[in-house]
Amino acid sequence: MKKKITKLLVLALAGAMVFSLAACSNSADTNSPAPSGTGDGGSAAVTGDTINVGALFNITGGQASLDEPGYRAFQLYFDELNAAGGINGRQIKVVSYDGKTDQTTCATNTTKLIDVDNVVAIGGLSDSNYAFSAGNVAQAAEVPFVFSGATTPSLNDIGNYVFLTAFGDDTCAYAAADYVTNELGLTKVYMLVDQSMDFTTTLARCFQERLEANGGEIVMTDNYMNKDPDFSAQIDRFLNDSKGAEILFFSSVPDDIGTIVKQYRDKGVTLPFISGDGADTPLLMEVGGEAAEGTLVSTHCSFENQDPVVQDFVTLYTETQGTAPENAFAALGYDCAHVIATAIEMCGDDVTPANVRDNLEKIQDLRCVTGTISYTAESHVPQKSATILEVQDGAFAFVAELNP
Amino acid sequence: MSAEYIISQLINGLRLGSVYAIVAVGYSIVYGILRLINFAHGDIMTIGVYIMLLFMTSTGMPLWSVIVVSVLVSVIVGVLIERFAYRPLRSAGEEATLISSLAVSTLLQNLLQMIFSPQKKAFYLPDFFTQQHQFGIVKLSTMNILTFAAVIIMVIALTLVVQKTKIGTAMRACSENLDASRLMGIKPNQVIVFAFAVGSGLAALAGLMLAGEYKTIDPLMGFVPGLKAFCAAVVGGIGSLYGAVAGGLVIGVAEMLFAGLMPTSVTAYRDAFVFVVLIVVLLFWPNGIFGRSEGRRS
Repeated sequence: MKKKITKLLVLALAGAMVFSLAACSNSADTNSPAPSGTGDGGSAAVTGDTINVGALFNITGGQASLDEPGYRAFQLYFDELNAAGGINGRQIKVVSYDGKTDQTTCATNTTKLIDVDNVVAIGGLSDSNYAFSAGNVAQAAEVPFVFSGATTPSLNDIGNYVFLTAFGDDTCAYAAADYVTNELGLTKVYMLVDQSMDFTTTLARCFQERLEANGGEIVMTDNYMNKDPDFSAQIDRFLNDSKGAEILFFSSVPDDIGTIVKQYRDKGVTLPFISGDGADTPLLMEVGGEAAEGTLVSTHCSFENQDPVVQDFVTLYTETQGTAPENAFAALGYDCAHVIATAIEMCGDDVTPANVRDNLEKIQDLRCVTGTISYTAESHVPQKSATILEVQDGAFAFVAELNP
Repeated sequence: MSAEYIISQLINGLRLGSVYAIVAVGYSIVYGILRLINFAHGDIMTIGVYIMLLFMTSTGMPLWSVIVVSVLVSVIVGVLIERFAYRPLRSAGEEATLISSLAVSTLLQNLLQMIFSPQKKAFYLPDFFTQQHQFGIVKLSTMNILTFAAVIIMVIALTLVVQKTKIGTAMRACSENLDASRLMGIKPNQVIVFAFAVGSGLAALAGLMLAGEYKTIDPLMGFVPGLKAFCAAVVGGIGSLYGAVAGGLVIGVAEMLFAGLMPTSVTAYRDAFVFVVLIVVLLFWPNGIFGRSEGRRS
């Protein structure tokens, strides 16, 4: 009998392992963008009239609420560009794959884009975990990869072929910390951190760094793991002794933020909430409902900004997608495409991955929806301002723009 | 650390443990008869929850009728799975059906993702369920009280069914020896269908309790709780009804007390802790707490 149980357990655990892998890869998805072209068997990406550009977004899985709008905006930019005559008279073909919120899939699809589809550059990915795996592949193959929404500053260390469209986490976290201490005048902060993501741990670290520099204090840090939607233990711990906290900082991925806000409010926490970029997802209001009201988010841009660049994007997106931009990641996807297109244009007739890279590095003061983008040889992380939004009547309202 | 705080975490644990217990019972009765670990069991829970969401948002049906519909649909899905994914493989051995159950689980998860999108969705129960009630130093929500009541009712009802009814007697006979039962005139397929039906219906109810607490649902939500419920069934002694309930409560309380009482630097690893509990229990009681060693089945 003992043998039997052991055998079954071994089987069961093996099954569980296989399964958790399967669960992560969320394979079936009918909407995942099919590759729009197959290249032509190993020749250059630039074949006569078309240039291949890769798009790698997590259209399914936990990142979908960010990457899906990002992907549509990315595609939208090139659609508009092609309709207007393309770049230097040539059309751009966007070859896209679904990263499935899975690091392995992201890496293999990057290889596929490079080896099979011969793209000159790749854009996409809103989260650093996936950006690291895809970026290393692109770096090794020497094809430029422009991340649309990933924000971990150390992505810059992958090498000279990766670029960020968004600001680094430090900017986002510093803005949030500055807002807490300088604008709200609060110093005692409770922090809840998702320990399973590079993005959330970096965000939390930068936030704490700046808060302490501003004379504030993290009175308590609690943890959770991505995919565990049960926060009752953390909430009761906080309710039992809040250590004088005046505001709660949630360092979470967009999938969790609505759940966290809702559960904390329902259990009777009345203090203000603040979170980082990614929390500006419609999921916050959909899941949080009334409880989401008043939640502050430090992010990339506000669609209320009356700058014509922003308003033109909002109008275009709304007209073509049938919905207003869901969140800042739509704008980042658009900007990511803008950055890539600009570099390709600068290449003139000689469009190769190496040339595109060289020209990406030369981009200066490119006016984009999410701010002005400049790269230097040392840093491929643009210095941009951060925007603080607040949930008011079920929508994100502009509160402040900070230049930390 | 106040008594009040420990009690509040204890209640969190009992609440979570109750959900595990209800799911574990489903694992256990199916295992008792077929020696099959049905990995799709956790996903039946997810299906139940999505059916509830579908009917709550698209029709104005009252909650109780939505629950009835969702339990019925889950029962049908559970029975269909048994009919088409397990029964044809039954003669091929336990390993084949185990693999088949993993396949069914993947299929269900992906089906749900295709139909409802992989995004999380809000799942709200009326305020009545989230209302907090104070009993001395014990604070309970309506949902907590209903969950505890559901476990007690489930145990009593299943005990009565197993001990007093014909089908219950047949179940006990089948879990003793399937082949001998067949010789005694019991139709094992009926018993197996009944076991799957009961397990699936209970899973749908457990899903409601989980979703009501989490306030969100997603197509993969059933898998990890399903896995922990399976641990609970093993800890309690798989195949035993009371073992499943006890195992569920032990796992739930252990998980929450770990999350609530340990320093925050380690609490993120509570899932790992659950599996450590499983290993420790099996080291001391290889057959689980309530499990009895049985003769090898031919």
